[in-house]
Amino acid sequence: MKDFDFEVLVVGSGAGGSMAAYELTKAGHKVLMLEAGRDYDPKTESPMFKRNGEAPLMGAGNKDKDFGFYDATVDGGWSVPNEPYTAADGSEFLWWRARMLGGRTNHWGRYSLRFSEHDFKGKSRDGLGADWPFDYEDLAPWYDKTEALVGVCGTNTGLDDMPPSSDGVLQPPPKPRITELLIAAAAKKLGIPVAPMHRAVLTRPLDNRAACFYATPCGHGCSIGAAFQTTTSLIPMAKATGNLQVITDAMVKSVDTDEHGKVTGVSYVDKKTSTVHQLKAKAVILAASACESARILLNSKSTRFPNGLANSSGQVGKNLMDSTGANIGAMVPALKGRPIYNEDGHTANHLFIPWWGHKAQERKELDFPRGYHFEIGARFNEPGAGLQGDFQGYGVDLKRQVKHNYGAYVGFALRGEMVPNEHCFMDIDPEVKDKWGIPVARFHWKWSEHELKQIAHGLKTAKAILAEMGADVGELPTPEQAILKGGEIIHEVGTTRMGASPKDSVTNQWGQSWDCPNLFVMDGGVFASNPHKNCTLTIMTLAMRNSSWLSAQLKQGAI
Amino acid sequence: MANEQHKITVTQLESDYKSGMTRRDSLKLMMALAASAFLPAALTGCDSAPVHSTDAGAGLAKASTEHWPDLKLAPITATGYGKDPNLIQPPKSPWPLTLTQAQLTLVAVLSDILVPREGSVPSASEVHVPAVIDEWVSAPYERQQQDRVVILSALAWIDDEANMRFSKIFVQLTKTQQKAIMDDIAFDTAETPAQFKRIATAFSRFRGLVLAAFFCTPEGIKDIGYVGNVPIGGDYPGPTKEAYAHLDKVLADLGLTEYAYPVQA
Repeated sequence: MKDFDFEVLVVGSGAGGSMAAYELTKAGHKVLMLEAGRDYDPKTESPMFKRNGEAPLMGAGNKDKDFGFYDATVDGGWSVPNEPYTAADGSEFLWWRARMLGGRTNHWGRYSLRFSEHDFKGKSRDGLGADWPFDYEDLAPWYDKTEALVGVCGTNTGLDDMPPSSDGVLQPPPKPRITELLIAAAAKKLGIPVAPMHRAVLTRPLDNRAACFYATPCGHGCSIGAAFQTTTSLIPMAKATGNLQVITDAMVKSVDTDEHGKVTGVSYVDKKTSTVHQLKAKAVILAASACESARILLNSKSTRFPNGLANSSGQVGKNLMDSTGANIGAMVPALKGRPIYNEDGHTANHLFIPWWGHKAQERKELDFPRGYHFEIGARFNEPGAGLQGDFQGYGVDLKRQVKHNYGAYVGFALRGEMVPNEHCFMDIDPEVKDKWGIPVARFHWKWSEHELKQIAHGLKTAKAILAEMGADVGELPTPEQAILKGGEIIHEVGTTRMGASPKDSVTNQWGQSWDCPNLFVMDGGVFASNPHKNCTLTIMTLAMRNSSWLSAQLKQGAI
Repeated sequence: MANEQHKITVTQLESDYKSGMTRRDSLKLMMALAASAFLPAALTGCDSAPVHSTDAGAGLAKASTEHWPDLKLAPITATGYGKDPNLIQPPKSPWPLTLTQAQLTLVAVLSDILVPREGSVPSASEVHVPAVIDEWVSAPYERQQQDRVVILSALAWIDDEANMRFSKIFVQLTKTQQKAIMDDIAFDTAETPAQFKRIATAFSRFRGLVLAAFFCTPEGIKDIGYVGNVPIGGDYPGPTKEAYAHLDKVLADLGLTEYAYPVQA
């Protein structure tokens, strides 16, 4: 980087880091991006049209490829070689990482639902958790810009849980599938709405990216750029300005400060040579993912900052939240033997069930404070290692059973908001270090009754919807049995939360650390709460807004 | 006697599990089968050979007691394909295969009982399902290692049972004799007799794998009717008229017509 005089260092190339790099380079700032994983090109590496039968183990997942052989995640998943994490006694937490350019945007679900004023002001409403330090109206124009740039399909539904996008921002959603239409009717009978999902998948071409051709699961990566990932969009666009350079295999270990406490740059390990390098910049943006950024800050200790950098509030690593998750489903007799057609669509929800309980919560009719939504899994899938159904016998009759059950299973995946609690946080393990000598993250986790009651409600609701469809779920599991593990939904946020006061938050509303004005966080760590609506769209929207603000500060010479 | 058994074996091999194997593999398989006729207990890995029932020759004799092979399996020590395999050209043999030729042949025969040829639709062994099972039970991952114990135990049990009832290993039985055992173990329900409960559950796992492996092949995909994974120009077309008509009927049957979600034609 001898001849590249960069102003800003961005740590991480996922949703937040790439959006920050895009916004800053477009504004004329030179940016150096550091990525801890290898270079990755979806155009040549995405396994498009590959069949499960062509993969080892019919594509089934395992500890090497947790989400299946073809999942785009490189060198990651629930474990990263030589880079462990630990859990405190009695805690279990799963931490998904990717070590690749573009990070987790290469495989994410692409669900892109806006948070609302309701979501941003939970504490004002029920006294729990924390409010965000801005109003929905402040963020709405940035949601528009982000959705237009990213490319989101969906519609404005008018539902209270789904704030509208400006006209012309959303691309048209794909037609619903038969299974989703049946669920919609059953849910409506119970007073529960069903709506087109918002997804970061193009149904119309955008920039150099093609529209979806409705084949190949998005989680495999998308060589045509239809399913949004930063490696086919923001990173090449930022590079095209001439203002972005990227170093891969660069594992940041600390943010460095001078004797006045001012951030000077970062130290990173070049994984290829195992050597440590220092880089200096006017401003540093951490976007390494919530827990990785918090880990870097906690590991950036000095005599001036003995508890880690940007941590005068003591909140770095605290307020760790994931989404709640639970799965419930059943064979629907009425769907057995139904007419077959191509149900791939954009390979995820065309319709879903948004949270419908705002009014009921207002009237105190529910015994849990925060909402959830249901994602739907029900279609003629490409056959893989698992077949749905309880099969008996052998021969021609057995095959008939399989075909009769094909496409008749309906599954609901609950995704809900958790309230931050004192038992859920991360810190630094006092003993364990990774291969690079960097102390590792240690997780502490415990669901509260808010989450368990919410899960209980969700299970009962899904059972009722399935019953309207003529399906019998049988006896429900307890919420304790049904709730998925902390981290398992991969929506971990909150570890460097933003707020209105330096006393109880790590950054201000711009992602600027209260303690170090030239240090920013632009990943999910800044979330003050974790609404049920999948975090990535809001990570990108905040990164765009806050990079724009940072650009103005740099141009004014304020930073 | 030995010659006669050898002949049966070769015939079965040629008709049941030839495809997908090299000439050398087939030869090894024949030799293993010839040996297996003499040493069933050793090959199936039993600690103690089961007591042969006295009426072994009598057609459809039933096993009288519960039994279960006590397998001593050497742990799989191979490494997996790692966290960054080539996804465009998946590894063809990611780890050493571990089924013996006798086990492989038994898998082939059982696979074809589960998924026989139907007209122009090939049987399981014709589309190399046994090779997929071998890859699965040989894989160095937790889930597959659990399945390995279950499936190898089931294979051993089936030969033990065949020996107890008919004094031959399963692949050497007549179709009628094989069917008699299948009818006892291929139904894992509340009515399954106690002595077949454990094998019925284990056989269910085997059946699930064979079905998955079959329907993952191009021939199986065609047979189940999956028509996706093809690029579509323009908008997603959505359900067919026939599919909408079926939905309308389902909604009517369930009393949900008035709640139907609006659909644009």
